[in-house]
Amino acid sequence: MTTKRHHIVVRVTHWVNVLALTIMVGSGLRIFNAYPAFARKGETFCCYPFEHHPIPAVFTFGGWLAGARNWHFAMMWVLAANGLVYLAFIYLHGEWRDLVPRRGVVRDSWQMVRFYLGRRKDHPRQGKNNALQRMAYFAMPLVGAMAVITGLAIWKPVQLGRLTDALGGYVWARYWHFMAMTVLVVLAIGHVFMVLSVDPYSIRSMITGGYDDTLSPEARNARPFVHLRKSRAEEPST
Amino acid sequence: MRRGHRAEQLGLDRRRFLAATAGAAGAALLAACDSQGPASAKKLLNYAMARNESVERRLFQHTSIDAPPDGAIAAGQHFPSYFVSPDVPVWDESLNGVWRLEVAGMVDRPLRLSLEDLASLPRTGYKLDHYCVEGWTAVATRTGVRLADLAAAAKVQRDARYVDFQSFDDGYHESWDIESAMHPQTLVVYAQDGHYLNAAWGAPARIYTPVKLGYKNTKYLTKIVFLPERNGGYWSDQGYEWYGGL
Repeated sequence: MTTKRHHIVVRVTHWVNVLALTIMVGSGLRIFNAYPAFARKGETFCCYPFEHHPIPAVFTFGGWLAGARNWHFAMMWVLAANGLVYLAFIYLHGEWRDLVPRRGVVRDSWQMVRFYLGRRKDHPRQGKNNALQRMAYFAMPLVGAMAVITGLAIWKPVQLGRLTDALGGYVWARYWHFMAMTVLVVLAIGHVFMVLSVDPYSIRSMITGGYDDTLSPEARNARPFVHLRKSRAEEPST
Repeated sequence: MRRGHRAEQLGLDRRRFLAATAGAAGAALLAACDSQGPASAKKLLNYAMARNESVERRLFQHTSIDAPPDGAIAAGQHFPSYFVSPDVPVWDESLNGVWRLEVAGMVDRPLRLSLEDLASLPRTGYKLDHYCVEGWTAVATRTGVRLADLAAAAKVQRDARYVDFQSFDDGYHESWDIESAMHPQTLVVYAQDGHYLNAAWGAPARIYTPVKLGYKNTKYLTKIVFLPERNGGYWSDQGYEWYGGL
């Protein structure tokens, strides 16, 4: 039975975000490679173990420093505007209710982890999103906002000097910008992995909007790579 | 039966067609994107750069000044240096005569200042961040003459909107908006960390401001020209952002 899962605004902003974020990360890494370190000249930096090791070129975008910067400073407006449209929409339309962590989210997340590890046999009850999804989808815009704020701080360290100072100065603001990117990438990779290994049926819901609830992970009792097809146990036995 | 067979064939064809189309589209996309992305994006990027410049110029305030964090250590000998000539540019007096800095263009009183002239003018020094386009920063104390003071002495005309900073480093120059040039921390620098500039750092004098990226700050300065229009620059002409503000 197909129900409508994602509003057109959510679907469009999702895919615009995929494109914008990919270009922002790729061009950002190319910019980073011009000086793949954090230390101020003549100082050392405590908290990055790979100082002066560039990111492999295949993960970068923009070709050269100026190209990457021009992409980064163009795409940032798309990313920010798209994020604002998404947030405004889920606020006005009510989708935020499926994303904001509920009471007991830690306990529920623990149950999801136990289930995924095989320590619990049945899928915990869930609505549209399970507790881990809620946390991830709630964190994504927050970390995105951190990326924007830290980005502004290193774009305009003099004109927005108070912001840069509040983040610990240019060197630290640049570090927090890099860390925000890292968290976004980790969340995105985890998201794609779980979509493919647990609920590939949800890809359709992010394209056409439709979702077959009889194929939900809960209905299939699915964990990564287990019960990817519809479970026979769900069918009435004679 | 016939129909069914046909449909099956069609289905197969469609699948093949879709696969072929996707493959072709992918190949076209790859061909269109050299490592810098699709060529058609260039217009869009230039548009964004122009829009960004107007945002940046609106954000700019003379009262926003740079101050390195309290604990920041001066880079000293670790301060990077670069130039575009094959060798470190050195002013050759036997060839070019005594070095002088010219202040020219839209001014009522053009100036020609020797290093001694500069050093005798009111001196300003700041401990400042240097922001390189590559992402690194370095701290140094810059000492020199405020460009705003020189502009006043040269009686810059009201309709001058841009300033070009020219050098004897193989034609290196960069032009700026006049607002950034008149920022109180924009200095014609002749000393760094308490010593006259050495050749690697742009001797005899250079322009320096923390409100512009490193590449906008011409070293080996020879001429400051006030202009009605912008005049590009060494890196700006190659695709780096012309404004380059911080």
